[in-house]
Amino acid sequence: MSLRPRIGAGAIGGALGALLLAALPSGLAGNVFVILAWGTALGALFAIALGNRRLEPGAALVWGLGYAFVVWLSVCAASALGGPAHGSNAMLDVARAHFASLVGLSLAAVPLALVVATVGRMPGPRSGPRFSIARALCAGGFAGIFGGWAFGKWMEQAGFFPLIAGIVRSDSPQVGVVLHFTIAIVIGATFGLLFQREVRGLGSSLGWGAAYGVFWWFVGPLTMLPLLLGTRPEWTAEHAGMLFGSLIGHIIYGLIVGLLYAIVDSIWLWLFERSDPLNRQAEGSGTVALSSLWRGAAASLIAGLLFSIIMAETGALTRVAQLVGAHSIAVGFLVHVGISFVIGATYGACFHYEAATELEAIGWGALYGLIWWFLGPLTLFPVLLGGSFTWTTAAADAQVPSLIGHLIYGIALALTFRTLERRHLANLFIDERLRRRWMRLRRPAGSPAPALLLFFIGTGVMLPLVLG
Amino acid sequence: MDYQAPRSAWLDNAFTAAALAIPLWAILELVVAPAVRDSAPAWTAAGLRAAFPALILWVLLGLTLGASANTVRRIAARLRPVRPAAPERDRKRVLILGGGFAGMTTAAKLEELLAADRTVEITLVSDSNALLFTPMLAEVAGSSIEPTHISSPLRSSLRRTRVVRGRVCEVDLESRRVAFQPGVPAEGPSYLEYDELILALGGVSNFFGQENIKRVALDFKSLPDAIRIRNHVIALFERAEGEPDPDVRRRLLTFVVAGGGFAGIELAGALNDFARGILDEYPHLAAEELRVVVVHARERILPELSESLAAYALERMSERGVQFKLNRQVANATADTVLLHPSEEIEANTLVWTAGTAPNPLIASLDVARDKRGAVIVNACMSVPGHTGLWALGDCAAIPNLAEGGTYPPTAQHALREAATLAFNIRAVLRNEMPRDFRFEARGSLCVIGHQAACAEVRAPLTRRKLRFSGLLAWLMWRAVYLSKLPGFERKVRVLVDWVAELYFPRDTVQTIELI
Repeated sequence: MSLRPRIGAGAIGGALGALLLAALPSGLAGNVFVILAWGTALGALFAIALGNRRLEPGAALVWGLGYAFVVWLSVCAASALGGPAHGSNAMLDVARAHFASLVGLSLAAVPLALVVATVGRMPGPRSGPRFSIARALCAGGFAGIFGGWAFGKWMEQAGFFPLIAGIVRSDSPQVGVVLHFTIAIVIGATFGLLFQREVRGLGSSLGWGAAYGVFWWFVGPLTMLPLLLGTRPEWTAEHAGMLFGSLIGHIIYGLIVGLLYAIVDSIWLWLFERSDPLNRQAEGSGTVALSSLWRGAAASLIAGLLFSIIMAETGALTRVAQLVGAHSIAVGFLVHVGISFVIGATYGACFHYEAATELEAIGWGALYGLIWWFLGPLTLFPVLLGGSFTWTTAAADAQVPSLIGHLIYGIALALTFRTLERRHLANLFIDERLRRRWMRLRRPAGSPAPALLLFFIGTGVMLPLVLG
Repeated sequence: MDYQAPRSAWLDNAFTAAALAIPLWAILELVVAPAVRDSAPAWTAAGLRAAFPALILWVLLGLTLGASANTVRRIAARLRPVRPAAPERDRKRVLILGGGFAGMTTAAKLEELLAADRTVEITLVSDSNALLFTPMLAEVAGSSIEPTHISSPLRSSLRRTRVVRGRVCEVDLESRRVAFQPGVPAEGPSYLEYDELILALGGVSNFFGQENIKRVALDFKSLPDAIRIRNHVIALFERAEGEPDPDVRRRLLTFVVAGGGFAGIELAGALNDFARGILDEYPHLAAEELRVVVVHARERILPELSESLAAYALERMSERGVQFKLNRQVANATADTVLLHPSEEIEANTLVWTAGTAPNPLIASLDVARDKRGAVIVNACMSVPGHTGLWALGDCAAIPNLAEGGTYPPTAQHALREAATLAFNIRAVLRNEMPRDFRFEARGSLCVIGHQAACAEVRAPLTRRKLRFSGLLAWLMWRAVYLSKLPGFERKVRVLVDWVAELYFPRDTVQTIELI
């Protein structure tokens, strides 16, 4: 199969992305022809890198976001090498100075991805569950309502609703609420349309949701909102730092949308497709889910112990004990083990189809750990202690030790789970028919999971540092 | 969707490696490096920002290494010689006869031990396609568990073992060949050859040569037996409901269980609960007309348990309406009468036989040494002396108890442990290693005697003392222990649902097979 049509589509998509950036009053000023040339070249390179793989628009967008992140890192590294200043702060300053490039490149990924996925579509038989527009819109819209509700809690606290209402030249919070939920439903529905084919289970859907949330932070508060309010988008690290709460809000929104969408989608598939004896797993999906829960819980014991060392070092165990009104380290340890047990069990249930190798397991584990850093210490922990969300760069700075702990926990959890699962699967896969049936459900090679891992882990770890 | 794998996965590898470089940076730069330098870890925002240049470097390095991984892998694959698969004739054939606890567990353990070793072929011949969990058989007869819920299909439990459905009819130890009837007698026997043969044929009911009893009595060894007993009881209730003669009604509602061991007592308890529980559905039958009678040859029931527990079981079951005929044996039986020795006659249409077991009759046809019970005499490794490659375990084997003398009893608990040791020994022999002796000390015994009551005798950990439990606590122990032992997670869930449903709904009296 010739790659020429795809490369052509990549060049056109890249050029369109460049034109979009040139048209936006975003501060990414420069010679239009130079931007266009760069866009065309980067678009063609993107198409070459994708090769002959089959792509849907959602998958192409995630590959595009990962690609944008890599280009941004390369720009930062090149600028730091070429610049006069050296050292840690110099690199950080360069990253901050080029923050606008990250936003711009991520936005330019949209036309690039759409053109490559449509004009540059590779022919071939399509298998797997049938794509359903009705399911995508209904499940996505439903998930969007709940995600919007959770995000709305922070927006209400931060007084954001009157600002949103400004889109329709109003300052009424009620109008803002209506607009907020409308946007939340629309984004949820687009999530369904873009990612229905990517959802393998609850775990990866959390990932797509979180990455989609970050993407919509670039699109929404940093770009569309100022444009709709009649002001100029400000893609500076300082301004973005002020909107850090909105970033976490978007991630939480994305997580809820991803999770709920996957739940509705899974129920649909269980009821109408996987319950079919012709498609059913040999062990039965109930057995698979429950044994995965058990393996996840067992894996959490090792991961939780590792994490507790970091928590003991940083004095976080006494804070954890406060969740049950105590102050001792021993109680904190027990509470921590309990939480770790639940999180480990849910990892098992959510990610059992995702990782086929140890390296993939590390990636999904790190992503899961990072998700729980946003959900746990930055969101649920303050609420459970009777306070409210502290979605600020200062709060994120204070939780940095916990970020490292969560990454280590996630990796240890995923690796231990993988070890337990591998032992079970080695026995199951002796039968070639069962192996084939299992592999049909497992994430195959060629999916955009690597781009998702890079984009979300990269932005999730770097943005709090760059914006703080 | 199923993706078409790209021709080259360098982009996938590059992005994956770049993503993995981030947590690797956190671990190496912020945890390991300070530990190596013996300095305090920099787990602060400032510390992380100081390590930011390294983060960029790690990600770009990961990207580069990932992109080149494919090339490296391809070169390595070219350099690595391809190992040919073992030729068919070099493969060792392990043949297991019997799909009960002993045979099925041996196969499962062998699968575990041999893992992906394709040089060994495992074949299991069984006359049933499922493993029956016999400890719960009485509950099937008592209609509190669905019959299929206590059986696990052999084919779904065993992944690499070839399961052959058939009844073994001849074992030729000289030519190392087994003949079996694959289910269609007209087609004649089929044959299987072996290198290692495992006899796990189990046992059958022993009627001690009394053909009349054998003809009249209901057996209680298999799932069809339990289903037949349940249906038989329901059928007799239906007949009794329309019977005007009180003597005939009494005869129809008298159920005699021969044998006061575990099987007989559990069955009598379950039958008593079931029969008395469904009386309300038959308005013309009175509780006084119903009799469940246990006939036992010794002076006390449950000889496997201590005297106090046996006395408790007798008292508790008597309170619930079960009658006992101790120091008596079933001497003869007709369709309407059970004759006891010393002389007593019980008018009954039901006799269930649990008074004795013997090894599978096929064992008697083998040219091997047997004990007085008829079981194959094996050494402590479970191999048959004088016959290389012949092994036996379970109810059909007499395995010497090296610690206490005598042989191990033919129970499921022992069969499971014997199977684990035998699987280890088979692998050892195949690899020219030393097999090991079987040593096991029973953990204890549990016996249900009726609704939410049981007797339990459990060995205390690290001591030789036995702890005794009775009543509700023992019954909870029984359920917890046997539910955990029931093979297959799915079966556990199904049985648990049955037990919960039984708490809230009446027992099912639907007759599924016509017997009378």
